[in-house]
Amino acid sequence: MQEEGKEEMTALLIPLLFLAVFVYALFKKVKLYDSFLDGVKEALPLVLSLFPYLAVVLMLSELFTRSGLSDMLATFMAPLFRALGVPSELSTLVLVKPFSGSASTALLSELYAAYGADSYIGRCASVAYGSSETVFYISAVYFAGSPKRRLLPALAALLANFLAVVAGCFLCRWL
Amino acid sequence: MNVIFAGVVGIAAALFLFSDPENFLASLLSGGEKAAVLALSLLSAYCVWLGFFKVLERCGLSEKLSRLAAPLTRRLFRSDDREALFLAGGNLSANLLGLPGAPTPLGIRAAKRFTEAGNEDAADMLFVLNATSLQLLPTTVIALRLAAGSTSPADIFLPTLLATALSTLLGVLFLKGGKFLCKRRAKRR
Repeated sequence: MQEEGKEEMTALLIPLLFLAVFVYALFKKVKLYDSFLDGVKEALPLVLSLFPYLAVVLMLSELFTRSGLSDMLATFMAPLFRALGVPSELSTLVLVKPFSGSASTALLSELYAAYGADSYIGRCASVAYGSSETVFYISAVYFAGSPKRRLLPALAALLANFLAVVAGCFLCRWL
Repeated sequence: MNVIFAGVVGIAAALFLFSDPENFLASLLSGGEKAAVLALSLLSAYCVWLGFFKVLERCGLSEKLSRLAAPLTRRLFRSDDREALFLAGGNLSANLLGLPGAPTPLGIRAAKRFTEAGNEDAADMLFVLNATSLQLLPTTVIALRLAAGSTSPADIFLPTLLATALSTLLGVLFLKGGKFLCKRRAKRR
């Protein structure tokens, strides 16, 4: 029951947010249609400017997974993962996540299908997926056109996400 | 990024050469295709949110919200640029609420403004906060678990929240620590 409540809450949140803001805007005599339209006009240029980065990162992600490189790295790193308490079944997921959200979503579904969503591995995979981010994509997009190289922030984020996966798997045993 | 690109493309090409060479081009093309599909869904999300944000801006609410969050955002980003602080604050709250497609347009504009003003530390901070995932409710995971027949799909809520809080905290610490070390080394020279 509790979960249903949470799902409903997020579903309610968005219409409520729009309603509150639009009513306030009408109250302030803002032209709703014109303003909304002006915002929408910015969407296509934004997507166009992001597209090259998106395309290259997703090409890398496809090469990484389909060439077997990700599995090779995963087997190579499995002992390290096991030593840190992360089930080695998760290693491909952890390696692919920085590249692509959709590829790691597919891997998460595969793990659920193979081991069950409520198994220890399934729960660890959920936490690993939920607590990390597509670091390479975000770094490409946020630092697009920036003249300086930004190695430090990306490394900080990657390392922090990895340690959070280790901690998450540990937590899954208790919570 | 240049190192990663060269490494992945080089090794993958070599691997394909020995296993199945036809699949190399196919993989590149399917990456491009996925990008095209994703770009379309991003476009629809950005239309909705950029329209919504423009209304927020015109009715003066964004200014008010920004002032409300100023004590926190000003300290976090060490900046006095109101516009950039609003964008960054909006990016963080959209992340927390898990509104799909909403954080990125705000975050990119904020990062650009910070960088143009020479405040690169703020742009780096915003990036690390985004790249360590701030979401309060892992909606994608819960939906996938439900679809996979989990009996209590939301029971990963607490460990995920703790792990993601830890990743954000560590990310900020590593960034600050790394910058501190870099500066000290530069001084010694």
